[in-house]
Amino acid sequence: MNEQSNQHTVRAYNVELDQLRHLIRSITKLVRLQIHDAAASLKNEDVEMAREVIRRDMEVNKLDLQADEEIIRVIARRQPMARDLREIMTAGKIVSDLERIGDQARRVARLTLQFYDGDRSPPNQHMLSDIYSMSRYVDEMIEKAIDSFDNRDLDSAGEVIEMGLDLVDQFRSAIRRLSTFIMEDSRSVGYAVDIVLALRALERVGGHSKNIARYMVYMIKGKDVRHETTERLLQEMHTD
Amino acid sequence: MLWQSCCARNLNAVGKRQYRDIEDMNVNKPVEPTVLPVEEEMDQFAAFEKSGFTGTVGKVASDDPCMSAKNVDVFYGEKHAIIDVSVDLGRNEVLSMIGPSGCGKSTFLRCLNRMNDTIDICRVDGDIQLDDEDIYNKQMDVVLLRACVGMVFQKPNPFPKSIYENVAYGPRIHGLAASKTDMDEIVETSLRKAGLWGEVKDRLDTPGTGLSGGQQQRLCIARAIAVSPEVILMDEPCSALDPIATAKIEELIDELRENYTIAIVTHSMQQAARVSQRTAYFHLGYLVEVGETDDIFTNPQHKLTEDYITGRFG
Repeated sequence: MNEQSNQHTVRAYNVELDQLRHLIRSITKLVRLQIHDAAASLKNEDVEMAREVIRRDMEVNKLDLQADEEIIRVIARRQPMARDLREIMTAGKIVSDLERIGDQARRVARLTLQFYDGDRSPPNQHMLSDIYSMSRYVDEMIEKAIDSFDNRDLDSAGEVIEMGLDLVDQFRSAIRRLSTFIMEDSRSVGYAVDIVLALRALERVGGHSKNIARYMVYMIKGKDVRHETTERLLQEMHTD
Repeated sequence: MLWQSCCARNLNAVGKRQYRDIEDMNVNKPVEPTVLPVEEEMDQFAAFEKSGFTGTVGKVASDDPCMSAKNVDVFYGEKHAIIDVSVDLGRNEVLSMIGPSGCGKSTFLRCLNRMNDTIDICRVDGDIQLDDEDIYNKQMDVVLLRACVGMVFQKPNPFPKSIYENVAYGPRIHGLAASKTDMDEIVETSLRKAGLWGEVKDRLDTPGTGLSGGQQQRLCIARAIAVSPEVILMDEPCSALDPIATAKIEELIDELRENYTIAIVTHSMQQAARVSQRTAYFHLGYLVEVGETDDIFTNPQHKLTEDYITGRFG
């Protein structure tokens, strides 16, 4: 398709769509902060910061509801069609994924409370290193996924899909490293189980970012490739 | 084919005279082509130029066409109103035609039963076939054609006669009923098909003009189907109706599709999305895109179509 005209004849419609996009950016900003602070609370053994992450998840949930209300209002008032309809449907799905990313951040923050809020002796910090690196990595995935939405950019979406493949490798390597800790000291099994759950939460964050990237193909090209193989998905992203 | 049986009808001299009476009653009053304000036409032209239109996109052919238009051009004097339009009307399918004012959708619709013949300065070139027969053939009896390709207009236009007579008029001039019993049956069946029987069965002798707008429009539909058409053309049939009456007409269109082929011109994109299986988008006399309605409204292929249906025009 050729270059699109961006403005609707009804200006209020543009304003409503801009508000929805702005809301998505706000939720994104908040969940990225959640991921960052959850990992930082673990690193700094900061129980208060972890509690703040758990409390802020309520804000994410509120924004999730607010976005749904906006979407319903736009559909009811404007009866969107074609690219607008696809964008609004995609926005609804993105918001759901962002909300779930928020839930995963809360899981990581809970780990801080488990390890550092009480008399229990803390784990070896080396066991936690993969959580920090994976949290940075998934944060980058979220950023790229939302950039692809903002800029209607399939190249960024493709990068997110490829990063997702790399994230799976990182997750497996992290599990292997944890195994070595267990082999060295069987008393660390309890910690390792909790850390695996946190790693799994971060791996799911990557999964939600990949979902957002997949929606871009539908939003931009009108083709639903959510359940296609990664190869087919990347092929679709790289063809006009 | 139904069309062949329609052609077999023999319209007598009285019938032909009565048909002219119908024209006198403004049923078939010539409709002048829409003339756009200059600014609006300039906007449409600018959008068209920018789009780089190179020809109709989408599937113009139907697997089972009832009517088929090929390379149709329409001129109003010097004005080239329809430019090289080709599209099929699939049997038992609703085709909606959408587009901005002055795009030629009503003009094209009126070509399908030669209603443009009533406009002196109008000339139609190209080929339009109904069941493989050229409807612009010189031997074609347009009265019979218009019985086979019926039309419902924007404004309900019942005859100033009783409800019964409104429906019986067509069958009578076409000699479709041998007896009063036959005629009663045609009237009842037509009114039932138009979803009006239950509302008017006890007052068939009251004037059709006394009905509500929505009922009048359904009476016009009953009148069209009383002569057993194969195709029904509808030119913005709900634009003068309230939402409830509109919903009844839309429901009726869906039911009528089982027995008839329907082409509808509408300014309401939601209506096109609701009632039709295929949609055609016209712009400045060109058929820009035609395709499955679901695809047109979720993922149109042409920029002009997308800009129009998303309200980004001008």
